[in-house]
Amino acid sequence: MTETADKPAAPRRLALATVDLRFTMALAVLFGGVAFTVRDDGIAYMLSLIMVWAIFAIGYDLAFGTAGILSFGHAAYFGLGAYGATWAMLRFGLPFSVGLVVAAAFGGLTGIVVALIGRRVTGLYFSLLTLMLAELVSIVMLTRLRDLSGGVDGIAGIPRPSFMAIDFFANGNFVWIVLGLFVAVILGVAVLRRSPLGQAFQGLRQNPVRLEQLGLNLGRLRLAAMGISGAVSGLSGALLASLMMYASPQLLSWKLSGDVLIMTLLGGSGTLLGPILGVAFFEVLKEVLAAYTDHWYGVLGVIFIVGTIFMPKGLAGVVLRRWRRA
Amino acid sequence: MKKLFCSGMMAATLVCSALTAAMPVNAQDVFRIAGIVPLSGAFGVVGENMRRGVTIAIEERQSRVLGKPIEISWDDTETSSQVAVQKTTRALSRDVQTVFGEASSGSTLAMMKLTEQRKVPQIITLSADDRITGADKTRYAFRTSNTVAMENRMIGEFAKRQGSKKMYAIVSDYQVGRDMWAALKLDFESKGIQVIGVDLTPVGTKDYAVLLDKAMKSGADSLMLLVVGGDVVTSLKQGADVGLPQKMKVMGTMLMDETLGQSVGPAGSLGVNSTLRYHYSQNSPRNKRFVEAYKAKYKELPSQYAGEAYDGMSWWLDVVEGTGVWDKEKWVDAFHGSVRKDSVEGEKTMRACDNQASQVGLFGLAQPGTEGPVVMKVTEQFTAAELFKPCT
Amino acid sequence: MSTFVIGLSISMLLFLLAAGLTLIFGMLRIINFAHGALYMFGAYLAYQVSASSGSFWLALLVAPLGMALIGALTERWLLRPIYSMPHEFQLLITFGMILVIEEMVHVFWGLNGRNIATPVALAGGVEWLGTTFAKYRLFVIVLGAAMIVLLLLGIERSRLGLIVRACSVNPTMAASLGVKVNTVRTAVFAAGAALAGLAGAVAGPMLPIQLQMGTTIILDCFIVVILGGLGNIRGAVLGALLIGMTRAYGQQWLPEWIDILTYSVLIATLLLRPQGLFSKKERLA
Repeated sequence: MTETADKPAAPRRLALATVDLRFTMALAVLFGGVAFTVRDDGIAYMLSLIMVWAIFAIGYDLAFGTAGILSFGHAAYFGLGAYGATWAMLRFGLPFSVGLVVAAAFGGLTGIVVALIGRRVTGLYFSLLTLMLAELVSIVMLTRLRDLSGGVDGIAGIPRPSFMAIDFFANGNFVWIVLGLFVAVILGVAVLRRSPLGQAFQGLRQNPVRLEQLGLNLGRLRLAAMGISGAVSGLSGALLASLMMYASPQLLSWKLSGDVLIMTLLGGSGTLLGPILGVAFFEVLKEVLAAYTDHWYGVLGVIFIVGTIFMPKGLAGVVLRRWRRA
Repeated sequence: MKKLFCSGMMAATLVCSALTAAMPVNAQDVFRIAGIVPLSGAFGVVGENMRRGVTIAIEERQSRVLGKPIEISWDDTETSSQVAVQKTTRALSRDVQTVFGEASSGSTLAMMKLTEQRKVPQIITLSADDRITGADKTRYAFRTSNTVAMENRMIGEFAKRQGSKKMYAIVSDYQVGRDMWAALKLDFESKGIQVIGVDLTPVGTKDYAVLLDKAMKSGADSLMLLVVGGDVVTSLKQGADVGLPQKMKVMGTMLMDETLGQSVGPAGSLGVNSTLRYHYSQNSPRNKRFVEAYKAKYKELPSQYAGEAYDGMSWWLDVVEGTGVWDKEKWVDAFHGSVRKDSVEGEKTMRACDNQASQVGLFGLAQPGTEGPVVMKVTEQFTAAELFKPCT
Repeated sequence: MSTFVIGLSISMLLFLLAAGLTLIFGMLRIINFAHGALYMFGAYLAYQVSASSGSFWLALLVAPLGMALIGALTERWLLRPIYSMPHEFQLLITFGMILVIEEMVHVFWGLNGRNIATPVALAGGVEWLGTTFAKYRLFVIVLGAAMIVLLLLGIERSRLGLIVRACSVNPTMAASLGVKVNTVRTAVFAAGAALAGLAGAVAGPMLPIQLQMGTTIILDCFIVVILGGLGNIRGAVLGALLIGMTRAYGQQWLPEWIDILTYSVLIATLLLRPQGLFSKKERLA
């Protein structure tokens, strides 16, 4: 990207996606730096939690911010991913890496199934359908499949990975695995966004009519978007299960679906940086507020309200707009 | 330049807040206790009471043990086991000497895996699931309160003593509920009490009217109400409208106490029988002191949750003090087999074989009283020998 | 017989809540996720009034009025800015509202559950054909039926209803005819909040008044609204009856399967007739 010599020196505008990616990688480096310098178990845990949720939010944003699918039921993919990894590791004794693959598969398949079931439903009704399907999954897992899900009590004792004799039960070590996957997901999604498929996804949100005129099959695009989004969500579910060493049907609840939507919105949808900022902000804010007041819930609510009215593009919007000048 | 500064500030804020939220600590200067209980959500009032009980236990020794100050931090689990696990992991990374919690058995079991992993003692004063000191017991987790098995034996015996002949049951559909009912059914039948019918209903059922109606029409003279949390209030409140306590002998575990009586109202509470983990009227010197201190600080009488929490924590701290050394393993060893002659409920012994305190069991009846519209009167008392199978 | 009466009482309560929700959606095109929180606040308000004054009837009057005021203020200051924004921001703002309302309840009334005593006139039961019917439940049914008649008459027959319907279908046209559309919007949201408050007050003697009561009932409320058709009051009546009866008879015969049954019916509706089982188009009443 070079300036031609005889044009007047107008400020160069970098593509939003480039700035986005640079910031995101900088954030990842920051996380790594903190993890390396501050050798504290609690901080490592916090960072891991933020990154796991960030992966979930990025996955969610693939459907929501990129493809324009407002889903109220993403907890289903997250939770089933968590359980998929749990069953693989606890019942079949498979290693952690296989557990991750199983989780992604569970999440992705569920996403595709939901998209298939709702292929003739659009708009708000599709969103409500995602909510209801996720609720159905949650109830079935909680009441009918108690042996598999652990019921209200959940399943404890989910292992951390183990290879090369490193103790991954120490959060200080586990955080590196999470960081590695975090970077992989960021790069993967960035590549996806620039690819023809990614562009088509963005077309789904911006101008579906035009897309159809260009000969693309909207239904199949939606399937693909939900599938990939579900797979990434499932992956993050598995990571959370291993981080907490615990999984319960609460991971399937609509409150979780609401949480991820809120974090993505607050951070700024449609970007890579947005979901990460939203998650980090949310988690850190909860910690800080809880230390100062018993009524942090209410303060959080006020922040949401104010944030919605005054910062509709989210935190990332504020950050990225100003930085588009190189 | 300004933009660099701006983003630098953001990053710095992020890191700093994360850091302040989890400060690295020095061991051996301070005795740290992590209190992890529900302070909001459905069990918020339970956790709040537990916190009060523990606070009295700490204040009573001038907040000192082994010559060092006691520092207790409270984390709200929001009545969610996911959050409980999260908070416990955070707490354990802060180098604590003791973990206290939680309320619901699912959360407690999940926490036990973590405290065992980190070799930190955990004091449990509420969760009743048998697995806590049974199939899933750990070296580091101790329970000073009742178990499901204990309560089962009490109820079976109580039903027989009260002359119940035909029993109907409404049971909350969760692990503890189902396990309890399975054991109780056998017990009732062995005592000659006929079980007419049972209804399993999801936790959080909003409307019990149909089920209560079924129970009353079934011809049973007694109703076993094995419901949990908010469902207790829902079912009893709706029972009031159809005269339930007058038409059937209603009994259950943790089914009624003064706090619940306030939520349900007198019409639905009076006449209900329930196991009692603790009652302020118990006649031991320690209990009298505790009730006085509690009343002075909180202007009301202590509930079961507060009493049990006080008892467990004060016992543990006394044991720690007794060892005279700063060594978690020695404290755990000292607790095994410890006998507390003057607990708030009489004598309790911490069994070395399963970390469960053997103790007396109380049964109460809700009656109108001077301290409030609904007051529990202790009607039956069972000795530890009657309730616990000996350690083999 | 008693299962029928119990089912009817559940249906009426659900209807009161769902009517508010569907009214708000029909007029404002907003899914009021905070409806459950408004219901809860109404219940606590009713508790406070009945505890301070000793009169349940006063509480029944004050709670809806109080909630109407809160609703009007909320609409004016919190919702008006977001009408022009995409749907998802409704979720964010109403979610924020839920947190604030719950915290307010926590601050004013603490964590303990509260109880509204059933008023003496309605306490106890009536014996009829060998079954005891709780008098209070009969009262709920009568009140619910009265509200149905009132709402339907109001929307379909009165001038006020005409204005509301006009604003929901074509606000620009209505505005050019001199109708203050903004005021109508505020009024409709206030009315919806008032209905939620009434539902809360009515639920007080029947269900536990506690911090989570809004979240447990809101999902059922959603189901009724979707089944009946968003914006459709008649549909809400039929939807409430369907869900109320399903719950009551489900508990009678197979309590473990009610939820699964309910959600399956709902999903089928969304797939086959998303506009609702009982409506022809997405309109008020």
